[in-house]
Amino acid sequence: MKAGTARRKLPFRVLARMLGRSFFLQASWSFERMQSLGALYVLAPALRFLYRGQDLEEAFRRHLVYFNTHPYMAPPLLGAVTALEEEQAQGADCAISAVEFRDMVMAPLAAIGDALFWGGLRPLAAVIALFFAFKGSLLAPLVFLVLFNLPHLWFRCAGLWRGYSRGLRLVETLQRLRLPDWALRAKEATVVLLGGLCAYLTLVCLKQEEIAAGWGLLFFPLVVLLGWLARKGVSNLLLILATLAVLLLAGLIV
Amino acid sequence: MTLSVFFMGGLAGLLLGLDRTAAGQFMLARPVVAGPLTGWLVGDPLVGLQVGALVELLWLGRLPVGAAIPPDDTQVAVAGTVLAVAAGHYYALEGMLLILLSVLVAMPLGKIGQIFDRLARSRNSRLVRQAEADVTAGRTAALERRHLRGLIHFAAAALGTYVLIVVPGWLVVRFAGERLLPALDGMDGWLLLAFPLVGTATLLGTINVSRSLTLFAASFTTVLLLLWLL
Repeated sequence: MKAGTARRKLPFRVLARMLGRSFFLQASWSFERMQSLGALYVLAPALRFLYRGQDLEEAFRRHLVYFNTHPYMAPPLLGAVTALEEEQAQGADCAISAVEFRDMVMAPLAAIGDALFWGGLRPLAAVIALFFAFKGSLLAPLVFLVLFNLPHLWFRCAGLWRGYSRGLRLVETLQRLRLPDWALRAKEATVVLLGGLCAYLTLVCLKQEEIAAGWGLLFFPLVVLLGWLARKGVSNLLLILATLAVLLLAGLIV
Repeated sequence: MTLSVFFMGGLAGLLLGLDRTAAGQFMLARPVVAGPLTGWLVGDPLVGLQVGALVELLWLGRLPVGAAIPPDDTQVAVAGTVLAVAAGHYYALEGMLLILLSVLVAMPLGKIGQIFDRLARSRNSRLVRQAEADVTAGRTAALERRHLRGLIHFAAAALGTYVLIVVPGWLVVRFAGERLLPALDGMDGWLLLAFPLVGTATLLGTINVSRSLTLFAASFTTVLLLLWLL
């Protein structure tokens, strides 16, 4: 039998269990093997369906090795790994084993997921929610959760199914989605919104202190200076405490 | 009253701490969510919202990539909210000064609290080794139990960080609050601005977008001038 031609036979309930378990992927995250045990925990229902006895032990052993990817990218990847395991169990002539595929793809998927979800979507959703928060609206947490979790949950649920149904061709599917481009757009939108948020907060502060709004333009170089210090390794905590010290000193002088 | 606030805060810290890494990751652990949720549990969601808004941007640019562990802003938001609400009861006061004092006290303690997260992750290494031994011995059914035991480690770490912030934090707020609050009075507006500006500056430095300064400058200037004209 040729690879990719094997029929997908896993029942829906097994895939549903895998999806449910994927929300606990990082429960045993460790420095040594990272998500190793978690990935096996997600795969276990499928492996138990596909193998018995010694074969099952062997399958468990080959998946109990180092594994690390972005938690939201793990369902599509583990779906594809399941498809390859199924082909191997059916005796298909696979060009690449499930373990080899997993080892090749996990790092690129981790990089895409980090940029898209942690670097792009999360700051974007947070900055939009902060507009609500600084206006005192309790809708802020809801706005954040909806904006972030709609794409997140879609990616997890549809991702597992697509990974399982596409197998090796998951890589083509992900390439077509152009996820790094989406990450970049989300980051650019975040920067623009941050500019607006900072300007609004600056104006509110100046009004409260009865200072002319034009002085607000000076806060841009201040942000650049703070950013430069942060890039040089000065921690946020230190920057906040230094600001507090400067304000206390200014209070003493004035 | 204050004891029940600390207890409910501990419960919130434990559950929200699990969402941070070990279970779900629905982002309930982000300060802008964790703050108001804790506030709602202890009777003042608006205080939690203000604490969450101050803390949210600070470490947003620190990504949990690979073995990197960002500072625990979840417990800072939870404990900051609890301290602010408890201080409100104690001093019979309300307002931004108590919130600022609570966040300023919680931030450095939260940094120290990272040690518990590291301990939990180190402890989890044993689970992997035990799972290996189980598989070798043919006890494949034990796998799930081993894995889920990690949740206990992460829950203990979340609670440990919470206690580490709240106990010394409450001592500072209670015994030094009377001196610190007048010192902060008059600068609350500036401090309120300092938190988002420092967070923004750090985020701009890590967001990895070419021309980020140009985009930020254009947006900042446009909005500032527009709001001024309106």
